[in-house]
Amino acid sequence: MNGLLGVIALLILLTLGVPIGIAMGVVGLGGLTLLIGFEPALIKSGIVLFETVLKYELGVLPLFLLMAHFCFAAGASRDFFDAAARLIGHRRGGLALASIAGCAGFGSISGSSLATAATIGLVGLPEMRRRGYSDALATGSVAAGGTLGSLIPPSGALIVFGILAEESIGTLFTAAIIPALSQALFYMVTIVLLCRWRPSIGPATERASWAERRASLLRIIDLALLVLLVIGGIALGWFTPTEAASIGAVGALLLCARRKRLNWDSLRAALADTLRTTGMIYVVIIGALIFSVFMSLTGLADQVAALMNGLGGGQWTAIIVMTLILLLLGSVLDGLALMLLTTPILLPIVTQLGLSPIWFGIYLVRTMELGFVHPPIGMNLYVIQGIAKDVPLTRIFKGVLPFLAADFVHLALLVAVPGLVLALPAWLGS
Amino acid sequence: MADLIPAQESTPGERRRYGPLFYVGAGGLLIAMAIEAIAVIGRQIGMPLLGALEIIQAAILLTASSSMLTATLSDAHATVHLVIERLPPRPRRWLHRGAMLVSALFFASLSCAAAWLTAEAWNEFEHSELLHIPYRPLRVIVVLASAAVAIVFAYKAVRHDAGRDA
Repeated sequence: MNGLLGVIALLILLTLGVPIGIAMGVVGLGGLTLLIGFEPALIKSGIVLFETVLKYELGVLPLFLLMAHFCFAAGASRDFFDAAARLIGHRRGGLALASIAGCAGFGSISGSSLATAATIGLVGLPEMRRRGYSDALATGSVAAGGTLGSLIPPSGALIVFGILAEESIGTLFTAAIIPALSQALFYMVTIVLLCRWRPSIGPATERASWAERRASLLRIIDLALLVLLVIGGIALGWFTPTEAASIGAVGALLLCARRKRLNWDSLRAALADTLRTTGMIYVVIIGALIFSVFMSLTGLADQVAALMNGLGGGQWTAIIVMTLILLLLGSVLDGLALMLLTTPILLPIVTQLGLSPIWFGIYLVRTMELGFVHPPIGMNLYVIQGIAKDVPLTRIFKGVLPFLAADFVHLALLVAVPGLVLALPAWLGS
Repeated sequence: MADLIPAQESTPGERRRYGPLFYVGAGGLLIAMAIEAIAVIGRQIGMPLLGALEIIQAAILLTASSSMLTATLSDAHATVHLVIERLPPRPRRWLHRGAMLVSALFFASLSCAAAWLTAEAWNEFEHSELLHIPYRPLRVIVVLASAAVAIVFAYKAVRHDAGRDA
């Protein structure tokens, strides 16, 4: 009962506009006070605060953010899209395919869905509209492609999950590789099928010369090598995630210098933006950890697990119920809030059911991504509308629908075949 | 909106305003980056940098403390906007004030808790294992940072134009 009241109180505070981390912290602190008394609750919160800011593993977050901001400063934002557009842009639906490839490439730097949608949207949308693509396909492909940023490593969402669930961030990154690549493939197949069905929505256009293609590929080669080194280094066990993040940040700084984009202003802007985002995430993590302690004491997870067991059907029923809960909550809460609220409740259930927490992390982020492209939250839709102001939101949503269908099939595949998530870490011995 | 990289970047004005805070946080971040990179290279060439992890921990603490204050000063905290965005300006301003007040109280509690733990551990002379980095100043930094965050939230709750941009 206490746990349920805590969840309700949290939802009320979130709705009233209290910052996510603070709302979780307040409910956690208040709940702990009721359960174990004020003094122990306060002491526990103080311990969480100090241990969190002193935690070496959390260094991965600001360092990856720094790498991303150095890459932005190096002007790398549009390079992946440009290269893909030169290579396949002339084919039917080619620019939409290039948007997905650009989102995957940019997502591997930014680790963020909104930043990916906004950046690729800025370069991809005008190009597609100029070449006669339908608004629905152009906006839909970028909005959906943007969600790749949440899953493709190094993913900010996976880092936060790893910290909350006390799971290896390196294993999570390795586990995300196949799901992220297959997600991009699903989107590409969707575009190909749509363009085959209605060729007018993504017309074939002029082919770029080989010189142009070579030049655009050469432009991304340093960046691609850096991303490969960072992700590959983690997957192969060369570096810990924190080490990989620092190597990535140093590499991105050198890349910035090589491209003659390194000056005091760009350095200062990259550091300031990193600090701002880092602060936001630290507050969220501190609040979520306090909330998590409270949840573990309430026994809510056990009660929900008992309820699920009562339904019969074992793992499958539990997974279907969890998916429905996540999709329902994802309609009213944004991704981060959804993850922070549900992890302390659902993770113990997942463990009790004998499912892998690593699989759960990928499944959770994958479900969370859906919230980025469906109303009423659908932040990617708003980001895209902010770029293509004359396209109504309803048309953007119409454009996203085929990708949303692909998302559901992909999610079902990840549920039905957990090996898609777990095989690579097992094979590489992560 | 609560994505990990906000779409809106900091302005040059903001960056100037947070001068000393910026140097502490950015310094910590760059130290962590450099030490970790040196440690990785050192390990590869057979010259491990002993105690690198402890330096990074201290540097990250500086970054975390100053970044929480920076995020608070620049209103960068992740918030669910579903309902408040649809409210008329007046109730939205009041809700914003309330949210800031709750936030101030929460951070004041955290600061008190951290101060309490610091006082209790004061005479234990805690330090790291290899480099003997003392934890006392680190604890004090956390207490001061969380108190400063509470003060900024409280100021945001009571200032006359509170919530105008919410």
